Amino acid sequence: MNGDKILVVDDDPDARDIVRTFLDANGYEVTTAATGKEALAKMEEVHPVLVLLDVMMPGMDGWEVARVIKNHPEFEDVRIVMLTARSDFTDKQEGLRSGADDYIVKPIDLDNLAERVQRNLAAREKQA
Amino acid sequence: MRILARVRDAALQRSVVQAAERLGAELVDGAPGGDGNASSPSGAADVLVLEVEDGADTAALREQARRTDTALLLACADSEGCDGKALSEGDDWLALPASDAEVRTRIEIAQQRARGLRAQREKQEAAELIRYEELLYDRLTGFPTLPVMIEKARELLERRGELTVLYIHFVWYEKIEEIYGWQKLDDVLETTAGAVRTFYSREAASTESMAMVSHIADDDFILFTHVPVSPEMAEKRLRALAQRLESFLRERVEEDHGEDIAALCGIYVGAATVFRNPKIRTERLIYRGIREAAQAARGAEQWERTRKVNDLKSTIRDGSVFIEYHPIIVTETEEIFGFEALARGVKRELRSPEVLFEVAEEANMVWELSRLLRKRAVDGIIDDLEDGQLLFLNIDPHDFNDPTFRNLDPGDLGSVKDPSRIVLEITERTAIKDYPAFQEYLAVFRERGFRFAVDDAGSGYAGLGSIANLAPDFIKLDISLVANIDTNFLKQNLVETMVQFAEGQGAKVIAEGVERQEEFEAIKELGVHYTQGFLFHKPRYAGIPKGGGTAAFSHAQAKENQAVEAAAEKAAAAEQKAHAEARLEAAEAEAKAEAAVEAAQRAEAAREAAAESGKTGAGGG
Repeated sequence: MNGDKILVVDDDPDARDIVRTFLDANGYEVTTAATGKEALAKMEEVHPVLVLLDVMMPGMDGWEVARVIKNHPEFEDVRIVMLTARSDFTDKQEGLRSGADDYIVKPIDLDNLAERVQRNLAAREKQA
Repeated sequence: MRILARVRDAALQRSVVQAAERLGAELVDGAPGGDGNASSPSGAADVLVLEVEDGADTAALREQARRTDTALLLACADSEGCDGKALSEGDDWLALPASDAEVRTRIEIAQQRARGLRAQREKQEAAELIRYEELLYDRLTGFPTLPVMIEKARELLERRGELTVLYIHFVWYEKIEEIYGWQKLDDVLETTAGAVRTFYSREAASTESMAMVSHIADDDFILFTHVPVSPEMAEKRLRALAQRLESFLRERVEEDHGEDIAALCGIYVGAATVFRNPKIRTERLIYRGIREAAQAARGAEQWERTRKVNDLKSTIRDGSVFIEYHPIIVTETEEIFGFEALARGVKRELRSPEVLFEVAEEANMVWELSRLLRKRAVDGIIDDLEDGQLLFLNIDPHDFNDPTFRNLDPGDLGSVKDPSRIVLEITERTAIKDYPAFQEYLAVFRERGFRFAVDDAGSGYAGLGSIANLAPDFIKLDISLVANIDTNFLKQNLVETMVQFAEGQGAKVIAEGVERQEEFEAIKELGVHYTQGFLFHKPRYAGIPKGGGTAAFSHAQAKENQAVEAAAEKAAAAEQKAHAEARLEAAEAEAKAEAAVEAAQRAEAAREAAAESGKTGAGGG
């Protein structure tokens, strides 16, 4: 809560809007990006504490974006939650190497989303 | 801003002059007619105001305006006059007569459009420049590539009459990528590049004779320099410089990435000097110098390899390896359930098992090495295992090609009295290609009572599919799955899946690399059956704590570990000395290494004594 900055990255504008509206209503400060490249630019700009990252995106996919973010010394402690269809997830064990912290299965259940966001922010506090 | 006007209409002329004044713009060629197009280039102007007259050909002017990103404003007697001439090109037009205000506004808008056009062009040009530079500068290291450097090298050679080339040859064992991933290799390369850069800037400051560093063939570097002394002296200075650079780079890699990784890569520096010769093309001379330096570097590498192969041969002959045993505990009770045998070479350079095996491969002695390590691992502990405790042996799928191993010869695992005590831990880094054949091999072992574990599950090498194929008794989770599992829900989910999968298969899961209490708690929560990691136990030289490991034992154990370490260090120091002083002194170092082996054997004797005292201690307590 209380205005934690979240970056939502998804190439699907509808999905982006739903998540943004929901998180907005829950008191988070939300920024969105439609591509991996845009996401990286927004990272520099807004310094979010958590990134919701779609796996399947044209160009740079979500795993790649996650890897870039986690390898950046400035963003090491940013929590990354992947948005994924179940099949992507089971296929992508090596996606773990990207350093993602959690995942949410699409289509997104909003209660689940809130819970995942909260537990990751809590885990981040604990880490710090 | 500059406005170029080609206007005949008097009213329009006045409007343009007025607009230029109001906008603070410079007005060029305000009078109509006059000189031709060429002498008054619109390139310098932002806006071209052009009156279209019947029959007058304005195509050339308009074309030029477009090329130079000048915004065009056409003035026509009526709207039809401008139709098809301006609109299609995205330019603006106005119909005469027009008010001063209209002229001014349209000029202002045209000016903004011109700015936009220019900004766009600049962006395009910048992008092109970057693409161009990427060809000339290596992206990973930021070093210029050879084509850029040749020019500077030539200049140096021509000015000084001579040029020294240092060739830095970077080699690595494939294991570095297999184990740590390509990113790690990139990191190491970056460290090396950074170190080369540091070295360069330091030396350049002190001698003023260093040219630049260049980057070649994606992992080697070249450094051009000048050694300003007589040729005889130069030889010595050169070798000293090469050696200094070599050890500087090694130290940096070891510092940044640790001994294990440093052991898996090699840095060799070769040097060569070329002298100006008016009869020979300068570039050719430079390339010759590079080639000679590269050969020298490769020669050094070859020498090093040969030496390592010889070291390995003597290691196998003398059996100068020692085994460390890393306890595995039952997650629930924290009691010791088994031990994983980890091989170490006594010689410093052959310490890590990865290097041992890489060198063995070169020496064509993999089977011999494997046999030695297996025998040592079993002999060192088998009689000390308590009821129910198991010994985990690392096995490479390639080992099954060795008939001695595969047929369970008496000299090998065939002589193990109780095979159910042994778990063969299969590392699937060298992918198993022929599963049916492999399963047949496994079946022979299973029949005899041996058990199997799959190592590094979840690392990408061993996916669930191949795990199911091997039907192991134990699944060892990859270290990467365990690290920080307490705060990573993705890992928690994967481990949960693994545990469920294992239980469905009748297998047990072992978590490796548990270092923190929080990690252990997460592992326990998820139902992982066994745990291995520094949080509970460090690998030990040999022996097992009887009766749950009394204080007396731990103390003796620690002392003994120290003794072995000291012996190994002594051997290592001897090795290094031999390397630095003169490569002729190898014989002496050999003797020292042997002494170290003896020391290790003495330590083993001490261990037995310690184990005895441990037993007594436990009996008394």
